[in-house]
Amino acid sequence: MPVTPPSSLRELFLGFLSIGARSFGGVMPWAHRVLVEERRWISEEDFTSVVGLCQFLPGPNVGNASIVLGRRWFGLKGSIVAFLGFFGLPFVWVLALAALYADFAADPMVKRVVVGVAAAGAGLFIGTAIKLAKPIARKPAALAIVAGCFIAVGLGRVSMLLVIPVAAAISYFLSYKKII
Amino acid sequence: MILVELGLFFSLLSLLSVGGMPSVIPEMHRYVVEQRAWISHDDFIEMFALGQAAPGPNVLISSLIGWKIAGVPGAFVTLAAMCGPAAVISYYVAGVWERMKDRPWRAIAQRAMAPMVVGLILSGGFVLATPGNSPDWRLWLIAAMSATGMVATKLNPLWFLAAGGILGAILL
Repeated sequence: MPVTPPSSLRELFLGFLSIGARSFGGVMPWAHRVLVEERRWISEEDFTSVVGLCQFLPGPNVGNASIVLGRRWFGLKGSIVAFLGFFGLPFVWVLALAALYADFAADPMVKRVVVGVAAAGAGLFIGTAIKLAKPIARKPAALAIVAGCFIAVGLGRVSMLLVIPVAAAISYFLSYKKII
Repeated sequence: MILVELGLFFSLLSLLSVGGMPSVIPEMHRYVVEQRAWISHDDFIEMFALGQAAPGPNVLISSLIGWKIAGVPGAFVTLAAMCGPAAVISYYVAGVWERMKDRPWRAIAQRAMAPMVVGLILSGGFVLATPGNSPDWRLWLIAAMSATGMVATKLNPLWFLAAGGILGAILL
């Protein structure tokens, strides 16, 4: 399947706009659909590699992908245009939703629903963690780091600023020694 | 000046957010709810729920937190701070990353990151479902339901959020 990069900044903007606008329930599947299947701007392998990079870097994954791909095609202008296209509509919608919610927040029924949604959202985090943990599930040292981070950050409520440097140093050392 | 403090704190979170937004949820909660008491746990949970249910990247949860703390300017500042530093890194690292494709440290660093990200995201789930560190079986039940659904099926996560809302209305 031949791939053709976007021919103009306008096209780039509209492509990322359509990712942001439609991404109900998770952005990544929509990014894949638009970039690889609909517009055919990049290949499947390229998509996997860009996503791999963006998961490694700090920051929102698809937000980073908009920066990386925008730069590849149009330099700094491309990064800015793709980023704004991606965030524009969701940003407006989420604030509109919050403003609307403010009018109903006092209603106890609405509040119960929202707390239930938040608990389900917490469950999605736990589900994500379980999925991500599958490749490391047979490595005791990796599980020890998972447990250490959870005990410190989740249960102990220790600041990440303290936990991350320590965990990163131990984890990198174990990885270097091929233990994880 | 609260906007400056918000900007600085979220810029720091941006640099720490390996694995994306979920990794820094525990730290965000610790700081804005527990340490600074800018908003309550309930406020935090409500903004989280709205951010999850709305279309778009989940990093928008940070702009909702900013909005709750400091209005529309707060929303802009937190989103810009949460994305800015990471975006600058992405911009400059993309080229280097391609050139370093075969260097061993890349694989080492990627393997090292995985367990940390898992631990942090688990912490986020736990903190969100456990207000004030006191377990509520109803919240844990809802969380367990959606976690199981996410692992066992390929359904759009919105279904689990909707089910959580219905269970919330019945149980809570």
